[in-house]
Order: sequence, then structure tokens, then C-alpha cells
Amino acid sequence: MFGWEFPPLHTGGLGVACEGLVRGLRKNGVNVTLVLPHRTTADGVDVRVPDGMDVVAVESMLQAYDDHDSFDVRLSAGIPGDINLYGPDLGAAVERYTAQSVTLTRDVRPDVVHCHDWMTYAAGVCAAKHHDAPLVAHIHATELDRTDFHPHPWIAARERAGLLAANSVIAVSNYTKSLLVEHYGIPDRKITVVHNGHDPKVAPLVAQHGKKRGPLILFLGRLTVQKNPSQFLDVARLVRAMRPDVRFVMAGEGPMLGELMRRACALGLDNAVTFTGRVSKEEAEALFRQADCFVMPSLSEPFGLVALEAIGHGVPVILSKQSGASEVIEHAFKVDFWDADKMADCILTILREQPLARQLRSEAPRILQRLSWQRQAGAVRSLYEHLLRI
Amino acid sequence: MPNVCFYFQVHQPYRLRDLRITDIGREDTEYFDDEKNRAVFRKVAEKCYLPTNRLLLDMLAADPDFAVSFSLSGVFLDQCKEYGEDVLDSFRALAATGRVEFLAETDAHSLSYLGSLEEFCLQVRSHVEKIQRLFGCTPTVFRNTELVYCNDLAHVARLLGFRGILAEGADAILDGKTPNVPYAPPRFRLPAQRERVIRTHRPHVRPSTDITILLKNYRLSDDIAFRFSNRSWAGFPLYADTFADWVAQSEGHSVNLFMDYETFGEHQWADTGIFDFLRSLPAAFRSRGIATRTPSQVIDDWRPHRNKTGTFDAHACISWADMERDLSAWLGNDIQHAAFTAVYALEGAVRASGDPDLIEAWRRLQTSDHLYYMCTKYWNDGDVHKYFSPYESPYEAYRRFSHALEDLRLRLGNRESGAGRRGRKSQYKHRSRTSAPMSESLFPNPS
Repeated sequence: MFGWEFPPLHTGGLGVACEGLVRGLRKNGVNVTLVLPHRTTADGVDVRVPDGMDVVAVESMLQAYDDHDSFDVRLSAGIPGDINLYGPDLGAAVERYTAQSVTLTRDVRPDVVHCHDWMTYAAGVCAAKHHDAPLVAHIHATELDRTDFHPHPWIAARERAGLLAANSVIAVSNYTKSLLVEHYGIPDRKITVVHNGHDPKVAPLVAQHGKKRGPLILFLGRLTVQKNPSQFLDVARLVRAMRPDVRFVMAGEGPMLGELMRRACALGLDNAVTFTGRVSKEEAEALFRQADCFVMPSLSEPFGLVALEAIGHGVPVILSKQSGASEVIEHAFKVDFWDADKMADCILTILREQPLARQLRSEAPRILQRLSWQRQAGAVRSLYEHLLRI
Repeated sequence: MPNVCFYFQVHQPYRLRDLRITDIGREDTEYFDDEKNRAVFRKVAEKCYLPTNRLLLDMLAADPDFAVSFSLSGVFLDQCKEYGEDVLDSFRALAATGRVEFLAETDAHSLSYLGSLEEFCLQVRSHVEKIQRLFGCTPTVFRNTELVYCNDLAHVARLLGFRGILAEGADAILDGKTPNVPYAPPRFRLPAQRERVIRTHRPHVRPSTDITILLKNYRLSDDIAFRFSNRSWAGFPLYADTFADWVAQSEGHSVNLFMDYETFGEHQWADTGIFDFLRSLPAAFRSRGIATRTPSQVIDDWRPHRNKTGTFDAHACISWADMERDLSAWLGNDIQHAAFTAVYALEGAVRASGDPDLIEAWRRLQTSDHLYYMCTKYWNDGDVHKYFSPYESPYEAYRRFSHALEDLRLRLGNRESGAGRRGRKSQYKHRSRTSAPMSESLFPNPS
């Protein structure tokens, strides 16, 4: 299996999903050799890698993760640039990763080669050819999602080539599947939808100290175009017009941070919105515990694992309809990403109507029982078996 | 061999607008989606009401023994006035044959029986008066919203003056007995306080001494209403002769076929052959010696066998909804309970306001469909409840509903604090005595 992110080195849902899938596959009796562009044996990683799993690291190949992220982010912010802009970093890294893919897996006899997102597709194609094994291309986010439908041609081309070369494609939602069919011309029958899973960790009961100042509305995600954070500020303005006691937290970092802070001030929200910057897992959990409502206004969200996390913490959620998560989460408000007015209305309704908030808190988490990684990985295993039969 | 009794339910709710919190407290906030309601009404009118009424009129003309019954909800009749005088006229034409029985129900197609006895009685009374005015006949058989039924309700209906009441032939209560014979509720007296409320608002001159329960034969009813066009059903395709055979093979006194009127042309589209099926039924019944009767006629026919009447004992409420046949489709989760409680919590203030507009708005918010749209039953199996909802989710239904109620609450509050409260209160008392609390003023009195 070729991956790019893997906890603790991850910036988004891809790493979390990859880890969940690997653990789930192990529980389904599938042995996984994971190829990553970075060593995960550094402190604390062993704990996160299941016993018996080989983690093959490609040596000395990538700079710090932030650079990958900032690359991603530069593109997301819509700065036009040719391949040279990031070629020396990400492009070269991808090339190198691909070049070593066969060497590193020479001694492995895989039944199936599985690769995650465009960075690993070329490596997957090489390895599948070498081992004469079927190739599964897993897609967690398309270039269209990341760039508000202004894809970088080089990336989109690599993405498409990998998807076309694969024997089977796994999309994380029907939403993503339809993008692949419509914009990438991938045949419908080749794509299997396996929604992401979520393994809720038992959150320790933490006593809340101090008096809560007022309702808290949470945004958590990278501050990039894809996540539509500026919409959150518009929503905040509308909510504050009706309920001046409501507070907003924007957790996460990204290239839009400065712009968003300026915008918050311009909207007169400087006392209403808190920008936390990047948050640790523990900090995120603390925020979830305090939140009265979680908003995911993404422009285009292949899945949106963070929504399941919010639900796991018993927070009522408002989701963009343009997301994979909205396909599986029933007990939530689903609003078009552009409809700030309706999002604000939903927030205010949740704050006003206690029975509504109560029902959303108590009913929504039931989805997590159906979406365990073990179960989702079971679907992936079935796909492997199908590929090996034909 | 049993006879057949048809009863068709005709109802349309007032669906809510996409209300926003910023609409609350505005002078001209309208709760209901006029455009949508008109569009739905006209669509169903063209596909179901008009063609089916036309067909029934032909059938009644062709067969002097054929008879059917309807329950037209008050909110449906209000919508006729707004969106479909042609539909109202076609029902009037049916009424003029004298072989169509109209049943009584709650005016707003509400669950008011569960919310407030007084409101329930007022609604039944205003519905009876609406039927009298529009069709020149007085209903003597009662059917409660969605066939919600229990022992207590039977006696309430009896004390209101009804001689018959409809209910679901729920297996759990029948326990192997046939739904095809009339039953009686266990005998008991209601608390004096409740009897007094009922007496005050009774639409009939005197209470009925006893009341007969007609039970829905849900197997044969659902063969038409739900399974008719189902290709994977063993009975497909269903022809009138086959169906008449099934009735002929049944035991009992009367097979009661109760269903939504929209079965014809809306739930089962014209191209399924549902109209041909309906048209062929009278001849198929006649050739087998099966008569079609209305609920009142069924009760009359039963008189000689009265001493054989068994007891139908429903302590808890049953209904005709879903597999459970209980109240869970309307009162199954937190938001449904909250919405239901909040509506009836306003009763006193709404009455005290005496404002016909507020009373009408409040009544239209009581329509059971609003609660039904909030149903989240079956979700946990990953199987989304297949219901007809104009909204995209139960939470959207609750959002709109709670905004409407919030606005109504505000309007009532404003009245309370305003001047002239006493005057309005006395005006209300007067209105309730003459019993024209809501939209009746829309209808010109024919007499």
C-alpha cells in the first residue's frame, strides 16, 4: 500500500483515513506493507502502527511536511503558477518516491497494490506492473475539491492517469464518485464507494471549570479555499446580529489566516471570533467539548472526517451539502455551501430549541456504529477478493 | 358473504414556508407556502381528485347500488376554496347523488384528541358544520386523524353524538378475530369533567347511546393502496374479478376498505390501470352478490345481529401508520414531542386572543403532517423512512415549524400586553357559542 500521510505526520483527513483503513484491514486478516515518504518510526510512531505491519520508508526524500502543505495551500489559494513553482519540492519528491517504489517492495509479493491520492498513483502503477498485481486507486480528495474547480493541469493529469490505469477505484463518497465520472471520465462501474470510517475513542470525562461565557460555534479545518472559512465569518456576522452573546472559534491554520483575521475585523467580529491557529488533538477535543454547534461549510468536501469527530463528541453539526459526510450523516442540518443565511438560521435554531439540540447530540452518534473502520475495511477486502477472482 | 365498505381519506396539509428567524416578529410574516400548496393541490387535483370523482360519478349513475364514503379534512376543504373550486364542485356533485356518505373528523386533521379535549371537540364541531354547509348533510360516523383510536376516544365520539367510529383492524388487539364484523368498545363512563367539556361543544343534538366500531381490513385495503402496482407481489397484476373473489372468500359482515383517496392516480398512477380496476369493481362485486355499503349502512345492516357484537378493547392508542400501528410516526422522537407540546401550550393564549387569524394559524399548525415530517423512525437501520415530505429532512421540518410557533408566541405575547384584551375575550366567548371560530367565514352560507 502506498500512502503519503500517516499519523503523526499528517495534515488532513488523508492520514487519519489511511491509518484507520490499515488498522481495519489488519482486523479483516489482510496483511499490509505500507510505503510512506517519511519515517514513522520517530518517537511515538510504533504505537500507532499495528504489529506485524511493515513500514517501508523512502529515505531522505521529503522536506518538512509544512512545505507539502504550503504547496498544497499556495495552489488552493489560487495563485497561478507553473510546475516550477513547486517542482523542486513536491514534484521531485513524487518522482523520487515513484522511482523507489519497485525497489522498496521487491521482496514483497502483494496480491493487490493499493495507493492513496495522486502523489502515490505513479508509484502504484509501477509497482502493480512489476508485481503483476491488480491496482486499486483510492481517492480521498480530487484536485477539483482542493482548488474550487480550478485544477492545476499537471496534478489533474497525474490524478487522471492513475485513476485510468487502476483496475478499480475507491471513492470516499458518492459525491466524489460523481465528480470522477463527470469531470475525469472514469467509467462508473470501475468506481466503488467506501465511506470513511470512524473509530470513536472513549473520551475521558473532563470536569468543566469556570462559567461558560455564551454559546460557542466551532469551525475546525485547514484555512483554505476548499474549506470555505470566509463563509463561517459571514455566518458569524448574521448570528451575532440576532444573538450578540454567541462566540465563534476558527481552529486550524492555513494560507487564508491573515486574510480571515482582517475580514473578521472589517466585519466587526474581532471580539466575537477567536483564531486558535493549529490545534493539537487534545486542544481539538477540548473545543469539541465546549462547542454548542459545529459548522463544516466546505465548498467541495470528498468526505469530511472532522464532521464525524464532532458527532463523536456529541456536537450538533451543520454540514455543507457538497460533502461526502452529508451522505452518511442523517441527524444534522445540511445546507448548500453558499447559503450563509440558512447556516446562521440553523445555528440560531439549535441554540434556541433545546429538544432539537438534544436529539441531534444523542441520535447523530449512532452513525459511528455503522461506520467503523473494521466494517469499511471489510468492504475494501471484498473489493480485493473480487479483483483477484477476475 | 360480506359486503364491501369503501372509505377514502382526502387531505392536504398547509406546508410551511422556508421561514427564517429574521421573519419572526415581522408584521406580515406568512407561515405557509402558498405557492407550494397551490402547486401540490393542483397536481393532485388533476391526477386524482378530478378524474376519480368523475369516474365515481359515472359508476354511481351506472350502478344504483354502488356507494362510497369520504372523509374530507377541514384544511383540505379550505384549500379547495383557495385553489380548487372545481374540486369542491365535483365533491358536491357526488354528494348530490345521495349515495355518498361524508364522515366527521377534526377540522385541522390534527392530533388534538391527544393534546386537548376541548380543542378536539371544537374542531370536530367546526368540521361537522363545514360539511353541513358545503354538502347539506350531517356526518354521523366519526373517523379520527390517521385512524388514531382508543377506548376513551370511542366514548368521546359517542358522547359527541356519533353512532359509528372507524379504526384500524390492528392484529395485536383483534388477536385472531376478524376485522370484518362491527365491534363495540368496552363500556365505561368518562370523568364528569370530561363529559361536561364534550357536552358543551357537542355538534349533535344528543349523545349516542352506543357506538359501533368499523375496522379496516388492512390486508385487502393495502392490496389496492400499496401493492397494486408492485410487480414483485404475488398478486400482480390485480384484476377486479380476482379482488372480488378474495372479498367473496372472506368471512364476516363487511370488508372495510379504508385508504387515502390519492391511491387513485397519485400513489398508483393512471398507467398502472388503477382506474380501470376501480371501474370494473362494482360489476365484479355484483356478479358475486357482494353489495357496496357506506359506514352508516353497514351499521344499519348489523342491527339484527347486535347481540353478537364483540368487544374491541384498545387501551392504548392505535393508528393506521406503519408496521407499528401506533403513534410513533408523529410522537416518536424528542423534536416531535417538543413540537406537539409547544403547540398545545399555546391553547389558552390563542383562545384568549379571540383573533380568528391567530386561531386559524394555530389550527393549521396542529395538522398531523407537520409532526409526521419530523419522523426519524427506521433511520438507525440505515434505511431511510420512505415518507412523503416536502422538506429535505425532519430537522428542516422542525426548524420551519419552531419558527412559526415562535412567531405565533410573539404575536400572542404582543396581544397580551396590548390594550383591549377584555373586549376580545368576550368576543371569543360569543364566537365559540355560535361556533364559527376559524375559516368558516370563507364559505358563504348556502341557507
